[in-house]
Parts: sequence; C-alpha cells; structure tokens
Amino acid sequence: MSSGLRATMRREVGRLTSRKIYLFSMVLVPVMMSLFFVGLLGPGLPLKIPSAIVDLDHSPMSRSITRSINATELIDITEKLNSYDEALEATRRGEIFGFFVIPANFQSDALGGRTPTLEYYTNLTFFVPGTLAYKGFKTVAVGTVGSVVRTSLVSAGINPDAVSSLVQPVAIDAHPIGNPWVNYSYYLSPSFIAGLFALMIMLVTAFSITTEIKFGTSVGWLSTAGNRIVVALAGKLLPQLIIWIVGAMFMLSLLYGYLHFPMNGSMFWLAVATVLFVIACQAMGVLFSSIVPNPRLAMTLAALFGILSFSFTGFSFPVTSMYGYIGVFSWFMPVRYYFLIYINEALDGVALYYSRWYFTALILFPFVCSVLVGRLKKACLKPVYVP
Amino acid sequence: MKKIFEDINRWFYDMTRVFCNEWKLVVKDIGVMLFFVALPLLYPITYTLIYNPEVVERVPVAVVDNCRSGESREFVRNASAAPAINIAGYAADMAEARRWMAEGKVFAIIHIPSDYSSKIALGEQTNVEFYAEMSLLLRYRALLAAITDLQLKITQDITMNRVQAGGLATSGVTSLPIESHNSFLGDPEQGFASFVMPGIVILIIQQSMILGITLIGGTSRERRRRNRGYDPLMIDDAPASATVWGKTLCYVLIYIPMTLYVTTCIPEMFNLPHYGSATQYLPFIFPMLLATAFLGQALIYFVKERETPFLIIVFTSVLFLFLSGLTWPRYAMNSLWTWLGNLVPATWGVEGFIRINSNAATLSESARPFIAMWIQTGVYFLLAWWVTAFLRVRAIRRAKQLDA
Repeated sequence: MSSGLRATMRREVGRLTSRKIYLFSMVLVPVMMSLFFVGLLGPGLPLKIPSAIVDLDHSPMSRSITRSINATELIDITEKLNSYDEALEATRRGEIFGFFVIPANFQSDALGGRTPTLEYYTNLTFFVPGTLAYKGFKTVAVGTVGSVVRTSLVSAGINPDAVSSLVQPVAIDAHPIGNPWVNYSYYLSPSFIAGLFALMIMLVTAFSITTEIKFGTSVGWLSTAGNRIVVALAGKLLPQLIIWIVGAMFMLSLLYGYLHFPMNGSMFWLAVATVLFVIACQAMGVLFSSIVPNPRLAMTLAALFGILSFSFTGFSFPVTSMYGYIGVFSWFMPVRYYFLIYINEALDGVALYYSRWYFTALILFPFVCSVLVGRLKKACLKPVYVP
Repeated sequence: MKKIFEDINRWFYDMTRVFCNEWKLVVKDIGVMLFFVALPLLYPITYTLIYNPEVVERVPVAVVDNCRSGESREFVRNASAAPAINIAGYAADMAEARRWMAEGKVFAIIHIPSDYSSKIALGEQTNVEFYAEMSLLLRYRALLAAITDLQLKITQDITMNRVQAGGLATSGVTSLPIESHNSFLGDPEQGFASFVMPGIVILIIQQSMILGITLIGGTSRERRRRNRGYDPLMIDDAPASATVWGKTLCYVLIYIPMTLYVTTCIPEMFNLPHYGSATQYLPFIFPMLLATAFLGQALIYFVKERETPFLIIVFTSVLFLFLSGLTWPRYAMNSLWTWLGNLVPATWGVEGFIRINSNAATLSESARPFIAMWIQTGVYFLLAWWVTAFLRVRAIRRAKQLDA
C-alpha cells in the first residue's frame, strides 16, 4: 500500500468522524430503514381486509355465504350494510376496501333455477388490499356456485362420489415457486432496502467528493494522494466502502439469518453480489461528481437516479411491460442487476451460470464510471463553488 | 387600543416585506426553482410514462403437454386466448421448461398430465399443474387470475357436456344456477399507473416543497455563519411569526398552480382515473400545502448546509410513500408506524385525494384527513415559529462566543 493511499485513508477517516451527517446517512438511515421495512411488512400479507356485506336476502343461504366470507383469512367483515349506496359511501369514506352484495330472494331464486347474481365490488385505488379482497370474494362466490350445483345434482339422483369430478373436472394446482406463501415482504423488503442503500451510497459518495471542492479542500486531498486522482478516490472511498459493507452485511444477516427469508441458492454469491453492488453504486457517485463537480448538481443527479431506480428497476411493475425507451434505463442502474441476482439466488435458487451477465455488469460499473475522472481531477485542482 | 392596531399593521407590513424578499430569493435561486417548479412539472410525467402500460400482458408461458390429445390442445388454446398469457412454446419435458424459466424466457409452466383426456372421458377429476416464477407479484397476479378464469371456463364446458350427455338436462341443471359478477371501483381497468399516480403526485408536491424550503434554509444558515449570525439576504428585523407567514405565503402561492397541474392536468393528459370534482379536491389539498410549508421550515433545524437536504430529506420520500398506505394499507400497520404516518401531511393528503379523485368522494366524506391536516397546520406552524426564532438567536450567540 502506497503511503499516499494510506495518508488519504487516514485523512478520510478523520473527515468521516468529524461530521454527524456521515453517521446519520451512512449508519442511521440504512439501519433504521432496514428495520422499518421488515417491521412494516413483517406480516407478509395485509390480511383481514376491512369489508362490508350487503345482505338483502336474509335467508339461511345468505347467512352461510356471510359466514364463509368472514371465515377466509383475507376478509374481515367490519360492517353489515343495508344497501349498495351505503356500502359505496363507506368505501368513499375509506372505512372498507370492498363489499359483497347478496340480492333479495337469492335463496329462492337459486333453488328455483332463476339464476340470481352475486355481486362484489373491490376498491382498487389501494391496489394490494383491493386485489386481495377481490380474491377472497371470488373464492367464496365460486365456492357458492359449486355447492349449489352439487346440491342440485345430488338431489337429481347423481352419485355424490361422482359429483365432485362433475363439478370440477379439471383442477389446476398453482405452485408459486420459491415463495409459496405469496409473501409481499420477500419482494419489497430486500429490493427496497437495496434501493435505499443505492440511493444513500450514491448521495454520500457525491457529497464527500464535491464538498471538498466546495470548501476548497480538494487541493489538499489530491496532494495527500500524491496528485493521483485514482489514489485520491481509492483513499476516500475505501473507508466508506468498509462502512457500507458492514451495513449491508447487517442487512443480509437481518433478512436471512434472523428473519429466515427464503434462500434457495447460495448465500455466498449473494454476499459477493452485495459487495459488488456497493462498489458499483460508489462508482455511480464518482461518475456524477465527475460530470458536474458541484455538490448540489452532483447530488441532484444522484437523487434523481436513486429515487427513479425504485421504479425503473421493476420491483413492482415489470421492466418487460414498460415502454421500450423507458425500460432501457433500468440497465444503467446497479440495483437492477442486484435485484435480478437476488431473485436468481434467493427465490429461484438457480445455478450461478444464469446470473453471469448480471455479475459482469456489476463488475463493469467501476470501470465505465471512471472514464471522466480526469475531468474531476481538473475541478479538484482549481476548485470553484457554484451554489 | 391604537397601539394594537399599529402593531397589527406593523406585523402585516413586515410579513409583506418578508414575502416580497422571499419571492425574489426563490426566483433567483436556480436550485430552489428546480425543486419548486421543474420537479413537480417533470416527475409526474416520468412516473406516468414508467407505469403507463398499466397492465401486465402476454407473459411468456411454457407448456409441457404429456397428453398430446385434442382435449389438451383445447386447454392450451383456451389458455393462449387469455390476454395475460402468451404461450412461448412447447417444452419436451419439465427439465427443459425449468431451463427456459431459469434463462428468463418464460415466467410460468403449464404441465398437462398424460392421462388428461382419458380421465375427462372417464368422468374423473384430472389435475393440471401450473408453476409460476415468483420474481414479481404483479406478473403472478395476472397469471393466476387468467388461470382461475380458465379453470372456470373449462369446468363449465365439460360439466355441461357431461350433464347433457348423462341425460340430466331434465334435472333443470342446464347452466350455472348462480351467476357472479365483480366490479373494480376507482380503477376499473386494474391499471398500475391508475392506482399509483394519484398518490404519487401528492407525495411529489410535499417532498419537492420540503426539499426547496430546506435548501433555502440551509443556504441561509451558511450565510449566518459567515456573517456573524446575520443573514444579509433575509429580513432579520421582522418578528419570527411574520417571517414564517410571509415565507409560507410565498411557497403556497407558487404551489397552487403546481397543485392544479398535478391533480388536474396529469390525470387528464394520461387518461388516469379522474372522477372527483376540483371544487372538492382543491380545497382539500390546501391545508396540506400550509402544513407542508410549515413542516419544511421546522425541518430547517436539521439542515445546516445548502447541500444537506439531499442526505436528510430525499430518502424520506420512500419512507413517506410506505407510511401513506399506498403500497401497504394502513390498517395492517402497527401503532408505531400508524402514528409516524399520522405526522406526515402527505399521508392524509394521499388518503383523501385518492378517495376524492378516484372514488368521487366529497370533501365531507374526507373530513377525517381534512381535519387532521388542519391540526398539523397548527402544530407545524408553532414548530416553524420556534425554529425560526431559535436559529436566529443561536447563530448570533455563537458568533459572539467565537469573538470572546
């Protein structure tokens, strides 16, 4: 290790410990936000969705439907209302996320072959509870249809044993691979925590570099490193890298050690990917600081990039469904590759071979992002602060 | 008595001075203008473009057909008719299909057993296996809905055939005895942009405003440190309350057209749900603008430097997004998160605006969030007042300590 590098690292440790903002944004924010996500999403699914039933029939059959709706883990009937209008009003007030309407004369119409219609409404303005309420209502509606058919067929003289294959000749068994619980937290927690790390790493990297330019200390920074920009950057970013890696390993042990998130592949390769991901994000911070060697503008770029990456990387809305000219942006974001590696390792547990391009991309980031460091060096030697 | 009028008059005079001064400061500061104007103008467009394809369609699916009969082909034909499913190809066996899945070529596998048609002919139940890759819930949701509908359709076809073939038509069971019908409220197309954008635009309003205000505040605190505790560009002789109100007036005035743009123009431009009436949602959002302006001025306490809002404020967008209940409903949160969410103006703004905009609720039906935001306005005004007065006094005190 050259003396310039050692001196720069010592200098950087001094800088990191001299300002509370580093403690806040490098330790406090990542740790608190990791705990926030796993705490908030801990249940995995927001079950027991507040819903209403509008029973206009008041028959044994309608009461049985009400009971079966309430018995599903998805639905909690918090209100029994007397009309569609009342239910709609409760929806607008935000008290319920959906309601199920049993029409008047339902039982007699059903048994008399007059085909009544069960109606259910779900409020999709809040997507997750709306979708789950829909699923719960639909299950009950389909089950009710099946049981009435069964009753009619048995009473028409068909062998009860044969009835179930008659009612459901083809059963489709769905197997959600890797996440049979359909747990939301398994997507949102790792991807949003990673996105948050990416955001903070890019911001802090850009801040720590450009603040030297702002206060004119960049000249001293470079001379400590023997006027070699690569040594200067390495000396500055290595101590930060260690802090980030400690934080990221805390995140990994929280998720896979303490909370037992699914890990069907190799923990080792995910940890390697995590380190490469942290370095790639630092490289992005360097790139932003080189493009605009000004604290506010470099951090504007980092913030813009970091916040948009939550959407562009397709944690929630798939990149394959985006417009082509939008989806292409996702390939410039380290967190995208990290997310794909996470899916391959933790959820799908496929061989490393299938993640080879994602690893390659993460490794390429530092090289591609350092093309403009010459420009950064110039700005550091003649620091100009533009507010 | 005359004194009181003079005082009131003086206060309004000071407030007006602060307002005019702040206006000039904002317009001249390109960084603030970026937050106050460019961000609310461009972010909603960017976000809508990301999510505008709305639904997940034509997800590639592999078929492993071990039956190779007319019935199994009928099944696959029905499956490929669903908008969510695109049959990417027939795999020779499960191993090949799994390989396609690992390579990311397909996201689900339909496995039809070899006895599929013979069991149907015998009147027995047969099981089709459906394996879904779970990298994205939205994709799984689309596939599962398609598969469930497929099962219902096939069941109905086969059952009716059997009932009629078995001579049971006389039993009266010629069609399903009950129909069921569902409707999606607020977002009838089940679109992703339609669901997420009404909430996002409100968050953008709050976050861009707080970022801009703390940027101004941080810059001013830097000037104070350089100028012995005084800020030559601020009206320091105005009382703190007049300063807070003068600035707030300036910010809210800038944000009224911005609010009009994100709540009215954006849904119209992109054909997002927009059922509510402007006479309901504009008055509803007003207290959120006030509360946010005050909250921003209170947060200056933590912002020592022009550039630190990026480190302190930006990440809270993600935090506030989750606290607002847009992605994870608030009823499923524990009381700590609920209370934390209660403190954020946008939590109530998102909740109320979505109900008004997408469910056509009225202002009176959104009374709870509306009142909550007025309470926040009061509390955050007091905080902003204290912070403004305190920072002024402390900067001067510190400058004197340095002299001594």
